[in-house]
Amino acid sequence: MSGRRYDAIVIGGGHNGLVTAAYLARAGRRTLVLEKRPLVGGAAVTEEVFPGFRFTVFSYVVSLLRPEIIRDLDLPKHGLQILPLESTITPLDNGDYLAAWSDPDETRQELRRHSPRDADASAIFGHLMHHMAMAVKPILGMIPPDPTSLSPRDLAGLLRLGKHFHSLGPERFHALHKLMTMSSADYLDEWFEFDPLKATRSASGIIGTFLGPRSPGSAYVLLHHYMGEIDGAFRAWGFQKGGTGAISESIAGAARALGAEIRTNASVERVIVKNGRATGVALSCGEEIAASLVISGLDPRLTFTRLVDPKTLPGDLVEGVRRYKFRGSSGKVNLALSGLPDLSCLPGNGRHLRGAISISPSLAYLERAYDDAKYGEFSRHPYMDVVLPSMIDPGMAPPGQHVMSIFVQYAPYHLNGGWSAAKREAFGDAVVKTLARYAPNLESLILHRQVLTPDDIERMTGLSEGNIFQGELALQQLFFLRPVPQWAKYRTPIEGYWQCGSGTHPGGGIMGASGRLAAREILGTPR
Amino acid sequence: MSQTPLDVIVVGAGANGLVAALKLARAGRRVLLLDGTESTGGQAQLLEFAPGFSAAPLGLDPGWLPSRIAAALDASGLEPVSTDTPLTVAAGPGEFLTLSRDAGQAAAAIAVHSKSDAAKWPSFTAQLHRLAGFLEVLYQRPAPDVDVSSLRDLLPLLELGRKFRALGRRDMIEFLRTLPLSAWELLDDWFECGPLKAGVAAGGVQDLRQGPRSGGTGFVLLHHLVGAPPGSVRGRVPRRGGPAAFTLAAESAARRQGVTIRTSAKVTQVRVKEGAVTGVVLAGGEEIAVESVLSTTDPARTFLEWIDPVWLDPEFVRAVGNIRHRGCTAFVLYALDALPDLPGLGSPVALAGVVSLTGDLVALERAADAAKYGAVPERPHVELTVPTLLWPSLAPPGRHVLVARVHYAPYRLQEGALWDAARRDALAETVTAAIEAVAPAIRSRIVHRSALSPQDLEQRFGLREGASSQGELALDQILFMRPVAGLARHATPIEGLYVGGAGTHPGPGILGGAGWLAAERLLAQRRIAR
Repeated sequence: MSGRRYDAIVIGGGHNGLVTAAYLARAGRRTLVLEKRPLVGGAAVTEEVFPGFRFTVFSYVVSLLRPEIIRDLDLPKHGLQILPLESTITPLDNGDYLAAWSDPDETRQELRRHSPRDADASAIFGHLMHHMAMAVKPILGMIPPDPTSLSPRDLAGLLRLGKHFHSLGPERFHALHKLMTMSSADYLDEWFEFDPLKATRSASGIIGTFLGPRSPGSAYVLLHHYMGEIDGAFRAWGFQKGGTGAISESIAGAARALGAEIRTNASVERVIVKNGRATGVALSCGEEIAASLVISGLDPRLTFTRLVDPKTLPGDLVEGVRRYKFRGSSGKVNLALSGLPDLSCLPGNGRHLRGAISISPSLAYLERAYDDAKYGEFSRHPYMDVVLPSMIDPGMAPPGQHVMSIFVQYAPYHLNGGWSAAKREAFGDAVVKTLARYAPNLESLILHRQVLTPDDIERMTGLSEGNIFQGELALQQLFFLRPVPQWAKYRTPIEGYWQCGSGTHPGGGIMGASGRLAAREILGTPR
Repeated sequence: MSQTPLDVIVVGAGANGLVAALKLARAGRRVLLLDGTESTGGQAQLLEFAPGFSAAPLGLDPGWLPSRIAAALDASGLEPVSTDTPLTVAAGPGEFLTLSRDAGQAAAAIAVHSKSDAAKWPSFTAQLHRLAGFLEVLYQRPAPDVDVSSLRDLLPLLELGRKFRALGRRDMIEFLRTLPLSAWELLDDWFECGPLKAGVAAGGVQDLRQGPRSGGTGFVLLHHLVGAPPGSVRGRVPRRGGPAAFTLAAESAARRQGVTIRTSAKVTQVRVKEGAVTGVVLAGGEEIAVESVLSTTDPARTFLEWIDPVWLDPEFVRAVGNIRHRGCTAFVLYALDALPDLPGLGSPVALAGVVSLTGDLVALERAADAAKYGAVPERPHVELTVPTLLWPSLAPPGRHVLVARVHYAPYRLQEGALWDAARRDALAETVTAAIEAVAPAIRSRIVHRSALSPQDLEQRFGLREGASSQGELALDQILFMRPVAGLARHATPIEGLYVGGAGTHPGPGILGGAGWLAAERLLAQRRIAR
């Protein structure tokens, strides 16, 4: 064992692990974060993949980061600086486009061009979604009570939850129920008629899941993503100056300032358990580090079946982890470009290139993309969310040149025949070719191309099956069921061993809520 | 105007209407029961589709008969048949997997394909039975809701909570987890044998325009198992008296209680004055004065076609208009001169149950894909039943009826196309070819063939969009959300108007379930005006 003794070791320097570490340090615990890669951030990293071109390699935009975390940890002081995304442009198949601008009035005007009815409905819809996000907010911020338990604490939590639902009134409660259970397409069908609008909005209901817009359950993911726009610190999707890695750096900076220690290139082999109690960790280099608390920021599969011996865990828990669905469904293509792409629907440079470009021309387009993936193929014509970070933050690329970040769905982790170098390139080609339908000069601009499949994401970040949320945001994997019933309160059956990753409630996105709730639960437990 | 003084008009003489009328009459109300078709029975009606050949395509699953309703009928012929009515799945060329309702016997059949699946089968079916058992509890009482304003409202909720806890922790978790789950995932959690998974999962997409991969199909699977005996994975056991047994029993019980029944009496309007019902108008113009109406027709028609919208809140109208129906089941009825021969099936008695021709989940899911885009799949999911094995009188002596239930045949076709004769024929041909693949001699035995598209079902049975569910069984359209929030307890914004069809809680497949609860509600709220 090495000399210094720690109160807590956090395994994994992703944003949730860093948040937990910062809060523990703030409470005076001697805390150590161990990250296997040379840099912190997990899936929220910025790397110079090609000389002069810096990429937000995996996650690329932010809106969900909890305002209380920014406040508590004073993140702006440590470099957090979000630059707003100006717009979302959806190129249409008829050569026109649908735009959403940062100014709501302008957006309504634009929508009126396509459907006056939808323009009117969007105001009411926005109002409802605001209330829905407000209705969910306290739920996301609570330690999930278990309705199957009889412990006073759970019963008190349930009573609080019941009162909360009751206070919403029947109308909002029923609307919330619909959002929790419906498909995003069905939900939007009740409000809107203009198909590209429904498609573009429903896209946020499929991100990170293996669901199509017509799959029940996708409306919840839609709401999850809506949270940021309504209750996030920035009220819109934005881009961190320097890329999402700089968000991780800012949290790491805050943690260090509060006294936490962070070691990179430190891969944890296993958690040391003695007499049913975690006493430290063993690194793959053989070094052992002792601590009275060990907190895993890794996903549930790694937390329960790799870091510890699953044979020592209750059978129900191991079975629950086995049933827990990852099913990574998204890929990422990062392009270094010699110049700006020219959208045929909106040619030339303009503010629209400082926003997102959504390749979602119709609901059927998205659904067909899903159909391909269901049967183990990547989408021939995928959904894409495209951002040009260098347009927002010129420091990301050499002068006059650009970086393009393309989030792609669907690329199933379980590809027929498995992923190979050739399949990866074929996937990259499908992405570029499809995008070139809307930006014809794209192919001639490409200097370098990085294609990441779910398999690559798993290999590089450790995220099981490449799922960006550490497990799907499906109803049967949320709240007191996330990741596994009876173990949804950040605890594990091993005393002193805790979980804090996105695989716990509420999970998903650069939100930090799991990490914060875990810290709260750990600190609330007597040592 | 009709002369007899009336207390209540019940619309629709299907199971719910008959039971509602009976319950109201037993409480002393003078009841008139109206039905727009030529006979009573609703979805259980027999169709004579060829001279001497009859079938009740929508009554293949006889539905759950809650014991309190069976007790109210006091009739014979309602007891289950003693023949095993298994679920059989095509497992490959000339190969079938027959899942008896006897879990032990089914496990023995499964063991040929997978020893580990066979070992799990009894606990799987037992779990389904326990979870469906809790739905059974939920389905016999008004839907619970959050709008509790007094202790009186809270008590039933607490009572329900107590019953829920009686499941035990493990089953409580499984129940909550299974509802939003897809049938695919549920089966993947348990089994490896493809035909086994496909056969069971098909029960989760019954009358649903979703594939087995869709969330909520776990719930649908359980819903259709409510009231089924332990060991079952598909539907309830047919009744000895045949498809019409329940109708006959309920109708005679209702008549004994003094209910007047009129068929071929199609309601076209419910008259409302100052927010309260004053009567109904029939096709042809006849008006009947009444202050209470209990409609077992689907809620969409009840509110959107029968009521003058000035009496309804536009938000309410919008919500009702948003109810998803999406009929997607079609039928092909065959009159045969002999039993079909399915080589490898073993005993032909298996055809008294359900024989599913889809042996893997992917094929089932692919069949659903086409329907999403308004197309009929090239390879639909087909299930076969020969009702004449249980009730020979449905066909001339020695002859048989074969019912093919076909998924997915979307009511709404691409670009507004209609289910015309050509399309119906094409579907019948596709289905016949699918049957031929397992029963090579089938064509030579067909005396007559008749196809029913969802549009035909709409016309023949008055089912909106051809959906026998009267509203898709999805998690946002059940319990307190069925048919829409605020209507789940059967009273409506119109004073004196109640809804109690399959489109309301507790939903389809429960004989008189909704009708009973709606009548209870009416009786509690409306005094006899004399």
